[in-house]
Amino acid sequence: MKHRMVFSLLCGILIALPGMAFAADTTLGMELWSRWTMSSGISAADSSSSVIKNNSLALERGYLDLKTKFSEQTSARFTVDMFSTDAHKDGAGLKLKYAFMDFGDIIPIPDAKLSVGLQKVYFGTIYDWDYTLIGKAPSDEYKLANSADYGISVNGYLPSGFGEYALGVYNGEGYKNFGSNLKDNTNMEFLANLRLTPITGLTLGGSFMTNSVEREKALATDLPVSGYQTQILIDALARVAYGPAVFTVEYLSKDVEYPNVNDGSKDYTASGISIIPVLNLRHYIEHDVQLVGRYDRWDETDNASNKHLLQAITGGINYNLMHNDSYSPALQLQLNATHKSYDADESAASYDHKLKDSLTVMAQLKWRFSSKL
Amino acid sequence: MRKFTIILLILTLAIGFAYAKKNQITCSGSTTVLPIAQAGAEAYMDAHPDVNISVRGGGSGVGIAALQNGTVQIANSSRPIKSKEVSACKAKGINPTPYAVANDGIAIVVHKSNHVKDLSVAQIKDIYTGKISNWKELGGASLPIVIVSRDVASGTFEVFNEKALNGAKVVASAQLLASNNAVVSAVESTPGAIGYAGLGYITPEVNIVSVERVTPSTSTVKDGSYKLSRKLYMYTNGKATGDVGSFIGWLQSAAGQKIVEEQGFISIR
Repeated sequence: MKHRMVFSLLCGILIALPGMAFAADTTLGMELWSRWTMSSGISAADSSSSVIKNNSLALERGYLDLKTKFSEQTSARFTVDMFSTDAHKDGAGLKLKYAFMDFGDIIPIPDAKLSVGLQKVYFGTIYDWDYTLIGKAPSDEYKLANSADYGISVNGYLPSGFGEYALGVYNGEGYKNFGSNLKDNTNMEFLANLRLTPITGLTLGGSFMTNSVEREKALATDLPVSGYQTQILIDALARVAYGPAVFTVEYLSKDVEYPNVNDGSKDYTASGISIIPVLNLRHYIEHDVQLVGRYDRWDETDNASNKHLLQAITGGINYNLMHNDSYSPALQLQLNATHKSYDADESAASYDHKLKDSLTVMAQLKWRFSSKL
Repeated sequence: MRKFTIILLILTLAIGFAYAKKNQITCSGSTTVLPIAQAGAEAYMDAHPDVNISVRGGGSGVGIAALQNGTVQIANSSRPIKSKEVSACKAKGINPTPYAVANDGIAIVVHKSNHVKDLSVAQIKDIYTGKISNWKELGGASLPIVIVSRDVASGTFEVFNEKALNGAKVVASAQLLASNNAVVSAVESTPGAIGYAGLGYITPEVNIVSVERVTPSTSTVKDGSYKLSRKLYMYTNGKATGDVGSFIGWLQSAAGQKIVEEQGFISIR
């Protein structure tokens, strides 16, 4: 069965690629991230000296991207995600990241499109996170949303640049899961996202999503599954862009209920905030250099099974060495240092004594290119 | 005292950089607007030796993206900016402000030997979507139609697609070319060809076909009776001021519009 699925997938790709290549307008692009990571922390409780826990080089991500415009209103995207550092030991892994079509002429609303397939999840900042910092978007980092998922969405732009919106229905399991990994969950994930730019440089937005994990009743026995959980996920965003500075504040909330656990002891609410300042220096020093920072506070002290209060501070610098025609970075060198600390009083014992505190330094060379076929 | 000296040094450097860049104008974008921007820049720099204007092509979308990234002061565009682009600009603190610098008609051109003189918008759509494939269906010779179009990223294509094709898909067999010049050259050398390009690029080596019995001209483009007419724009971040404002103002003036007409486009005055 598995072989048949892989065979079908390969056949699909082989059929789709030439079709896309000979469509009206096709762009082939690639993006690669080569990363050095070194992290340190203490190895034993109450130890006074830290040890290096990770010191490694990896091709963290590689995206092979085909975008095609069949017509002014119909386009498609097909992206393969290559990686060398996940759990597999095969040297490199391969996942489908995006495989969707956009239809601009089905929805009778100007500047709206219907997207069908494995596509972006329009939650928080995850869908337009451009990795100005090396780390993930807050909603990805704290496991509120997946960056891509199988679904159907209506998304578009408000008139006069007033903002954007999206409504979507997804599997809710992300692009990494399919088939048996879906854990028999038949509930869909529902999403609403709105971003407004009432005045130039000021963006205010919010996302709301409902999701569930596992199945309410076991398929074989029809008995309640204790691990079944329902989630309400909320994101609020404020961003100010003024001159060379961009200042982003994102608030996240995750409300989890276990309906099959009667005493409610497993229910919890987690919330957090991310503050991200970015300063572009290119207008002052003749080089495209950015200073970046980030402060995260993630409070999951209400979660009995994983109680912790995290504070993380990141500082970094980006040097954009080469650019494409529209001056987006084509070759970028990034250096980030992140210190994570867990509050000893508010976190579970496994986080105590600074056991999970860490200092991580990452240097990343990122390059991207694209060309019309 | 040392802190004061450092702050003073930083301020001096910042002001120095600001002044060093004061007379530099950068613009990029539409290949249609490119000859206007180039000729205009040359004439303006002759009259203002202290100003240096660099002009690049790339396409309307590229120019607007560069404006959005804050790396050019002027984005040349042969189409109005899209909601998606306005939204992206505004979110980055950029307020794209249009300045019309010329009128243009997208002329439909055929080979010199082709005797078809007029097409309706519906016929143009049928040709470009593959429903009509031979000139004899339009009263011409029995000759297969060779469709020449701009690539879909071009602003000229987007205006043509909206005004002539109503968003329909161009037939897959069409030749997609990257510039107005390339389209005209292809039509010039191919007996069955049909193409379209901005008026400024049309040479005597091809025939212009009227649309709905209206030939693109100064008067028909200006009064809008020619259905494939459009305005050409320069976009700036907010109201154009300083050297950028002076340059665009000059391009819109009688002197600047003379340059526009010399390049084969139609004055906005």
